[in-house]
Amino acid sequence: MSTIIDLLSYPFMQRALLAAVMVGILCPFIGNFVVMRKMAFFSSAISHSAFAGIALGALLGIDFSFSSVALSILIALFIAFLAERTTLSHDTIIGIAFSGIIAAGMLIMGFLKGYRAALFSYLFGDILAVNRSDLLLIFAVSAMTIVITLTFLKAFLQITFYRDLAKVEGINVRLFEYLMFLIIALVVTVSLKIVGIILVTSMLIIPAAAAKNLASSMRGLFSLSCAFGVISGVTGLIGSFYLNTASGPTIVLVSIGIFFLTMLRPAKS
Amino acid sequence: MDALSVENLCVKVSGRHLIENVTFSVEKGAIVAIIGPNGAGKTTLLKAILGLIPYDVGTISIFGRPLKNNNSGINVGYVPQRLEFDRTVPLTVSELLDFTVPPVYSFPFYRSREKKEYVNSLLALVGVQHLAERAIGSLSGGELQRVMIAKAIVNDPQVLFLDEPASGVDIEGQEKFYDLVTRLNKEKGLTVILISHDLNVVYRFADKVLCMNRRLICTGKPREALTDEVIKSVYGEMMGGYMHSCHEHDH
Repeated sequence: MSTIIDLLSYPFMQRALLAAVMVGILCPFIGNFVVMRKMAFFSSAISHSAFAGIALGALLGIDFSFSSVALSILIALFIAFLAERTTLSHDTIIGIAFSGIIAAGMLIMGFLKGYRAALFSYLFGDILAVNRSDLLLIFAVSAMTIVITLTFLKAFLQITFYRDLAKVEGINVRLFEYLMFLIIALVVTVSLKIVGIILVTSMLIIPAAAAKNLASSMRGLFSLSCAFGVISGVTGLIGSFYLNTASGPTIVLVSIGIFFLTMLRPAKS
Repeated sequence: MDALSVENLCVKVSGRHLIENVTFSVEKGAIVAIIGPNGAGKTTLLKAILGLIPYDVGTISIFGRPLKNNNSGINVGYVPQRLEFDRTVPLTVSELLDFTVPPVYSFPFYRSREKKEYVNSLLALVGVQHLAERAIGSLSGGELQRVMIAKAIVNDPQVLFLDEPASGVDIEGQEKFYDLVTRLNKEKGLTVILISHDLNVVYRFADKVLCMNRRLICTGKPREALTDEVIKSVYGEMMGGYMHSCHEHDH
């Protein structure tokens, strides 16, 4: 059996570990907002939009990363736009967008000829196939979104706490809500290759939910969620290598294990 | 100069007038109570002033500065009627205040000594310094309202708007709350505009009362403006008698 040192000598494993650490920080960091603002369904809709984007990219012969990011952002903006202009609840609007985009993705797939292995790799993710340009993209998006979110964190948290109060205090609520939608869309899309469309929402919400079980402050919430994300990513990746299991689902199952461990703590008063 | 001036304000939602032709002004440093039955448009009036809902006709000025369906640039504090927020969010009292201290666009988890001292002084001012590290969701109604007052005055506002701030708080908590509001009004010269259902509060703490039922019914000093006829016309026969008992109790 290979030791950890042997394992780390493989370039594909080095890249996979780097990706697991970056996504392990990025997803829970943004996932804290998804959990606090009850947007898990929204992130699911965005990941499925990315799937339609990938199918569209395959049909038009354009780069998958570009087509998935573009379509996800478009759908995120569409949901935000509809939410502003109708009296329907957010989950109804997201449900409409969700089913519409899946239907569109399936239709597009029907037009594709031949074997669609690349498409299906996005469904379940393949962290071991991450290449240098994927790493660069994840790094660029992580750095950009974390810097933007930290810079405007006070505004985002004020809006999360009480929207009307934030508005009275002079915060441009509309602008920051659109910005948060965009950030979630970007993070979901760049994380697809690691854990796949089906499981990407779990990387956003499970470490954040586990941290919420333990944290007694915002500082604690953000630190713990990122720590849980990294532990899940690294342990899941190495564990999948030794257990000969798929990496994405193993990472998610480790994070669920951590979540259940945090549930052992007595309920907060 | 008046702290707040509202002229011919009309608010219409889905074709229905919620506020019609309301005109009044509030002097700097006054405590003004807005009263009226449920559905009278009191919260709508406050929200229109605060830029939270648009209005169709009329003008609103704060310290002579007209607002045009938004509140950008005005420095006011606001404590809403029912603070509906996720009580499970791990946000401490000091973090909530830290996030409100300007500049808004700065690293949130860094606390300079000055900032820490300022937040502590605000908490001491409203008598909740001991709650600094408690989670917001674990506070009682009275404690939360005091923290919300501290949050509302973080930026040293000129006008403080309170929408039934003590509803759901016990009698002792209400007393303490309104004593605090009066102290802030005296010490900081803060203009206070509050909505209340409690006529006792109006008689004891307000310099001026605005009585409304979609339109302005009366305005003036509480003992002069709130006649039996006015109370009966706004609240019905039952409250006319209540008003007498308030007067007698107060005297």
